[in-house]
Amino acid sequence: MLQKATSHVLAMQEVRGGYGDADILHGVSIEVAEKEIVVIVGPNGAGKSTAMKAIFGLLKVRGGSIMVDGTDIAGWTPNRIVQHGVCYVPQVNNVFREMTVHENLEMGAFLNKGDFTEACDRVYALFPDLRERRRALAGNLSGGQRQMVAMGRALMLSPKLLLLDEPTAGLSPKYMEQIFEITRGVRDSGVSILLVEQHAKQALAFADRGYVLAAGQNRHEGRAADLLADQEVAEMFLGG
Amino acid sequence: MTLLELINFYLIPGVVLGSIYALGAVGITLVFGILRFAHLAHGDLATFGAFAALALVAVGGVNVWVALPLAMAICGAAAIGIDKYFYDYLKERPKILTVMASLGIALMLRAIVQVVWGVDTETYTRGIVRPETYWGIRIRDRELYTVIAMLGIVAVLWFFLKNTKWGKAMRAMSDNPDLALLSGVDNRKVTMLTWMIVGMLCAAAGFFLGLNTELKALMGWTMLLPMFAAAILGGVGRVEGAVIGGLIIGIVEEMSVLFIPTEYKAALAFAILLIILLVRPTGLLKGKVL
Repeated sequence: MLQKATSHVLAMQEVRGGYGDADILHGVSIEVAEKEIVVIVGPNGAGKSTAMKAIFGLLKVRGGSIMVDGTDIAGWTPNRIVQHGVCYVPQVNNVFREMTVHENLEMGAFLNKGDFTEACDRVYALFPDLRERRRALAGNLSGGQRQMVAMGRALMLSPKLLLLDEPTAGLSPKYMEQIFEITRGVRDSGVSILLVEQHAKQALAFADRGYVLAAGQNRHEGRAADLLADQEVAEMFLGG
Repeated sequence: MTLLELINFYLIPGVVLGSIYALGAVGITLVFGILRFAHLAHGDLATFGAFAALALVAVGGVNVWVALPLAMAICGAAAIGIDKYFYDYLKERPKILTVMASLGIALMLRAIVQVVWGVDTETYTRGIVRPETYWGIRIRDRELYTVIAMLGIVAVLWFFLKNTKWGKAMRAMSDNPDLALLSGVDNRKVTMLTWMIVGMLCAAAGFFLGLNTELKALMGWTMLLPMFAAAILGGVGRVEGAVIGGLIIGIVEEMSVLFIPTEYKAALAFAILLIILLVRPTGLLKGKVL
């Protein structure tokens, strides 16, 4: 039995839904506690990214509940969800390539009426590399730096929960480590993180807890270290 | 032929014509980049703007330079209205439907111009304007104002896109629409803002074409192809590219009569369009590939 954390930033229960009429998710339950890094792993087509998009209101949720800070956000528009403190970094095309690093951050604070210098400073403190390259076009940055811009943009509104869809996809192992390092830094600044990862082993080695999804359902869940050690999980999903 | 003659009879008219094309091409590139379709009513919207200015001058009795900003405002409002009552209904459908609808709008606008103002050619002012001569270079005031106004209008637009919140939102929408929506950019507001700007640019293009030549119902339609060629030559989505593209097309068209019969002048923009699509589809400044 999992130890219940004191307060859950995210608690999704038995969520069903899909893009069109057919369901892709057949009852997915995921919880994220405060300042926790939770990873979703699983084979291709298991519904990992779909589960994340369901949280962010990008697909039809036909059953279950998605509680964020005690409020059910199922059926909300992404705009409203952003204002409720959940930000999302898509896997691809996650920066404005023809805008500068600084302008990318500004776009992250688009919904914020007031001054966002403070938010920019906070993000630059997390990613010092970006401050140096603030006038560079995001499209001209390296893959790792671009991922920092994408995360920085999402962090501008000080979310409680950050959703990362395969942040290390297409990056070299060196950058993968760097992204995990950055993600830890973001968590330490007080943000809960839910990420989907293709590199299951590496991700489980770095996360606090994990969920293994298969065919749109929860298959295994537990502390990341336990999942890594689990014989069945290893054989079925981690490639032996 | 001397260099001065080349400048006076070919380069200056080319730059003036190019400036008019540039104003139109900037609008086309904005619609392409942000709303993602080829706006075939662009030329006739320019005609409409030009005739709106004529109404203000002929009926309202205002000065042409007062008529220009007023016509820009009228044309901007008209563009927002066209979007609201026509294009907006098609936004969830394949873009080709909006392209076809814009062809219909083009015919409607032209019909309105013909019904309201008639089919005769008109001018803003009567009488012959003699060019002034500066160090042997002959230039009319209106030609000078056309180029200066184009540069001024584009500079204001440039500043708006680079430095204001909604200007950045327009660029973000052009760059990555999905991410712009995720960031909370209101698609509807950006669309309306884009149409207002595009309508204003159309009116300016039509006004300056009318000022330098004459006003007739087909004036904008015949300008459509060179404007598209300019936008694609400069790189779709690139404001500065559209200006460069417009100037190049204008100058090449005027210079071409030195080498080919005048009747073929109109085909030149088409030839340039074909070449650029074959050789460098992204345009001179790297734009979007269509």
